[in-house]
Amino acid sequence: MSVLEIRNLHATVEDREILKGVNLTLRSGEIHALMGPNGSGKSTLAYVIAGHPHYEITDGDILIDGESILEMEPDERTKAGVFLAFQYPVAVPGVSVANFLRTAVSNVRGYTTRPVEAEGRSGVIGSNLMPMREFRRELTDKMKEFNVDPSFARRYLNDGFSGGEKKRTEVLQMAMLEPKFGILDESDSGLDIDALRVVSDGINKLATPDRGFLLITHYQRILNYVKPNYVSIFYGGRVVMTGGPEVAHMLEEKGYGWVEREFGEAVAA
Amino acid sequence: MSVLVKEPEAIMQSVQGFSEDTVRAHSAARNEPAWMLEFRLDAWRQFETMPWPSANDEAWRRTRLTGFDIANFKPLAVSSGTVEKAELSRLLQEEINEMDSAASMVFEDSSLRYSVFHAKLSECGVIFADLQSAVREHPDLVQKYFMTKAVKPGLNKFTALHAALWDTGTFVYVPAKARVTLPLQVILNQVSDGVGGYHHTLVVTEEGAEVTVVDDLLGAKDGMQASVVELVIGNSSVVRYMNLQDFDHSAWNFLTGRAVLGRDADLRWIQVSWGSRLTKAFLDVDLQGTGGHAELLGIYFPIGHQHIDHQTLQIHRAPHCFSDLLFNGALKDKSRSVYMGVIQVFPGAQKTDAYQRNGNLILDATARADSIPGLEIQADDVRCTHAATAAQVEEEYVFYLMARGLSRAQAERMIVQGFFQAVLDRVPVESVVHKLERVIERKIGG
Repeated sequence: MSVLEIRNLHATVEDREILKGVNLTLRSGEIHALMGPNGSGKSTLAYVIAGHPHYEITDGDILIDGESILEMEPDERTKAGVFLAFQYPVAVPGVSVANFLRTAVSNVRGYTTRPVEAEGRSGVIGSNLMPMREFRRELTDKMKEFNVDPSFARRYLNDGFSGGEKKRTEVLQMAMLEPKFGILDESDSGLDIDALRVVSDGINKLATPDRGFLLITHYQRILNYVKPNYVSIFYGGRVVMTGGPEVAHMLEEKGYGWVEREFGEAVAA
Repeated sequence: MSVLVKEPEAIMQSVQGFSEDTVRAHSAARNEPAWMLEFRLDAWRQFETMPWPSANDEAWRRTRLTGFDIANFKPLAVSSGTVEKAELSRLLQEEINEMDSAASMVFEDSSLRYSVFHAKLSECGVIFADLQSAVREHPDLVQKYFMTKAVKPGLNKFTALHAALWDTGTFVYVPAKARVTLPLQVILNQVSDGVGGYHHTLVVTEEGAEVTVVDDLLGAKDGMQASVVELVIGNSSVVRYMNLQDFDHSAWNFLTGRAVLGRDADLRWIQVSWGSRLTKAFLDVDLQGTGGHAELLGIYFPIGHQHIDHQTLQIHRAPHCFSDLLFNGALKDKSRSVYMGVIQVFPGAQKTDAYQRNGNLILDATARADSIPGLEIQADDVRCTHAATAAQVEEEYVFYLMARGLSRAQAERMIVQGFFQAVLDRVPVESVVHKLERVIERKIGG
């Protein structure tokens, strides 16, 4: 049982404040939907949790089980159990999915920091990665489970992938890295109904009692497939309302215009 | 002349400086026929009349020969005869063992040191010989093709010097329809310090022939290497050529290479420039027959104060030809690279399809890459594109990979390796790919 806690978080980019006092608690086993209009700062929150260097934290804290992660590099946060599924995963030319993922998994599971086996292979690059066969087997199994074509292992990361393929590959990576907390930044955006179903299935498979999800979305649509325990409305750089699934329904009925009328003044103040 | 009463080594020991006498002594020590001596002397005269490159020459404007003085080198190394494989250095033995090749030759300093052939090669009429022997054993073929079709002695100052003093070299001849499936491996190791070397590669293929040749160039500490590569590719012939230059970082390296392609010929040339203090490489593909297909792919990774210059020419003389050029380089420290390239389309070369791309990954702000692409098009129904880029490692790539648990160093290394991958993917010999990956790894780390 783990807790990801965001306390009064303020963040700026180029002296402009984007996050204005975010408070949010995510526990293992919970799915917490964070809904808000474009430009409300939802994606910034996701990036800040993952440690993107572009943003400056001016106040507040992010804690995992009581320990602040603010001083951690992005890779250390990943090792601490945070996984960000990107809204727009970048294409990295020449880096194959399998190659990079083996290094990633080896780091996160601690292979790379284990003392090199006493076979005199020290110094050989790749000698302390997860064993190739073991990794291959697991990757193949998970590709099957998460509906990713096996050929993607050899393809270059997100290079020439369709929107749906990118999002599915993000879910696959999450399945391989087995985080404590998945931050899903608009994993539903740009997907047709079939792709949305595949991605949602993947998330549901990974929604085990030992894992929490922050499901960031603009639309109520994905919540037909992934059932949240909590829904928060994000507006003007902070959480303005939190409740059960009924909040999403209310939002769909009333629209983001209602949010603006209701909370616009409070945020501006 | 009666120089032959002396031992060849003794003749060369007595040679001093670059002169016509040196050319004569070199030829005599090798017991060459008169035509080759004449060829050398003619080239020497051309060398003497040609000026040294100056900053006014467009080709040398960005690559200055500051600190280069030919008088600082011994004109030729003294050869020390052939040996058994076990007597080669461990590095060379490993190079030979790692590649699954049809035949191998090792040159050290100015002569053949070791060779191994599969008997089947000669049964098929394939010649894979050191050029010195080929001059005696295949005079008609050598006289017909040696510096006559692809690279002529007078092309530049260094080709003239090369023609006058060439020492080591490979002659590959593949008759019509013959297919050599495994690569032919050539290793040149310039062992002696401070000497000049002039390595020659001459590959001639007849109609429908197939061959893969790998040149590995090593050593040349405080020395100079003026090499020439000639690929004369017959109609419908398929040639894969790899030039893997990994000289000592104190070496001056001048390479002139040209491939001449017949009708429907297919070439892939991989140019790797890892080593040398300074490299100036002229690389041309000359599409002379209809339907030719040429790929010229290069990688370079200068570090420290290395200076690497590639100048390429894609010559489309005939219609319906395709050429694709891709040079990718990463730069560290205070290194410099220059890429200059021209796609030249002659009148009548309609339906030409030509690409030229040069990418540079700048790893340190103190490094500098110049890229000057160019088009000279005299036909109207063609498709030619060129692009040049110089960029740093994308921070967004780094963040993405770090968000997956890679350290910054791992992420950057992977991105740099990925940058070279577009060329590595097209290297047709697996052991070469692994070797290149190891060097990239080493260069990133060190």
